[in-house]
Amino acid sequence: MEMIYKVSVGRCIACGKCELACAFAHGSEGRPARTRINILRRGVELGTPVVCLQCHDAACVAVCPTEALVRNQRTGAVDMVRERCIQCRMCVAACPFGNMLWDPVYNCVQKCDLCGGEPRCVPFCPTGALTYVPAEEAAVRPEPLDRSVLAGDGR
Amino acid sequence: MPNLTIDGVTVEVEEGAYILQAAQKAGVHIPTLCQFDGLEPWGGCRLCVVDLWRPGWDPDWFKMVTACNHPAEDGVKVFTSTPRVLETRRVVLDLLLARCPETALIRRLAAEHGLPATTFVRNPEPTDCILCALCTRVCDHIGVSAISSVNRGVGREIAPPFHQPPPDCIGCLACAEVCPTDCIPFTSSDRQRTIWGQDFEMLRCSQCGRAHITVAQADHWAARTGVPRSYYETCDVCKRLHHAEVFARLTAGG
Repeated sequence: MEMIYKVSVGRCIACGKCELACAFAHGSEGRPARTRINILRRGVELGTPVVCLQCHDAACVAVCPTEALVRNQRTGAVDMVRERCIQCRMCVAACPFGNMLWDPVYNCVQKCDLCGGEPRCVPFCPTGALTYVPAEEAAVRPEPLDRSVLAGDGR
Repeated sequence: MPNLTIDGVTVEVEEGAYILQAAQKAGVHIPTLCQFDGLEPWGGCRLCVVDLWRPGWDPDWFKMVTACNHPAEDGVKVFTSTPRVLETRRVVLDLLLARCPETALIRRLAAEHGLPATTFVRNPEPTDCILCALCTRVCDHIGVSAISSVNRGVGREIAPPFHQPPPDCIGCLACAEVCPTDCIPFTSSDRQRTIWGQDFEMLRCSQCGRAHITVAQADHWAARTGVPRSYYETCDVCKRLHHAEVFARLTAGG
């Protein structure tokens, strides 16, 4: 069954739990500033989670000179094979969404690999803004979030 | 799928795999210098030599092959640390140590093989280049081929044509990045990048002005892959911000 990583921007409250989960899941020693998912904070409790879209015809895969970016047939994600990466950063330049993240500490690109088919950020998202659902459910429009229960006024 | 034995460990590997991959699967370490997973095996450094025995051969008859580019055939037995294999590796490292007496990588590998110093005549002009050809191979692989090996024997070296700034080079630094001994010099700043004596203009982000790749890189990859040149004209940070703003707008209210 094909699974889709679904981001419902309207449900995000910018709490940052996904960033923390990602930081710990990927051995980045809990550095939330260097995670593969980032929230653009637009206002009080308003955020846009920004994460790799795992494009079907991916620009990063096309420009990688050493086939270090490969489609994982099982998860559908584009995986980065560290042993093949030569740190040329063409993928960083080519990604039209800016989702290939250069990590100067580890000297490699960080990209979402859907945690091998079990995205760690999903169970930590308190509002269901991030879900991992069967492909047929992915197109269903998400329920709007009841923001009246939140602390901020949602502007 | 071929089934073979590496130092007594039986492994099954994918069709078309090489002995080196079978050894990795078996948990047996074979030293390499010119091997890089993202490129075709080359068999140039001769460090990964192993003894191979095929069914039907006399029990004391072996063939020495390079593990990186020898197919993992069904039924063969591979021995990675017989005395003659270790001696061959030691000679290879001894010669490399004579050529590159100051190179940390070679010194470490040589020391691991019991060679504190070379037994040959030490190169009076030490170099860090081990002639593994990873640089020329990666350059060929991306369709540029700006550098190659020139001359033969002791005079062999890696260089651009006629030792002139190579007109085909795109300044991507792939050669310098893949080099296991970091011996290809370059400079790179927001304004300009220089490698192999050639200067390159940097492509600046249309939004914030930060330079990330060279103009020649953008032209080359746009022509080679069909990824539109406009993708390169904005830096990753500005692209991410734009993408987030578009998403927020498109999903407003939902």
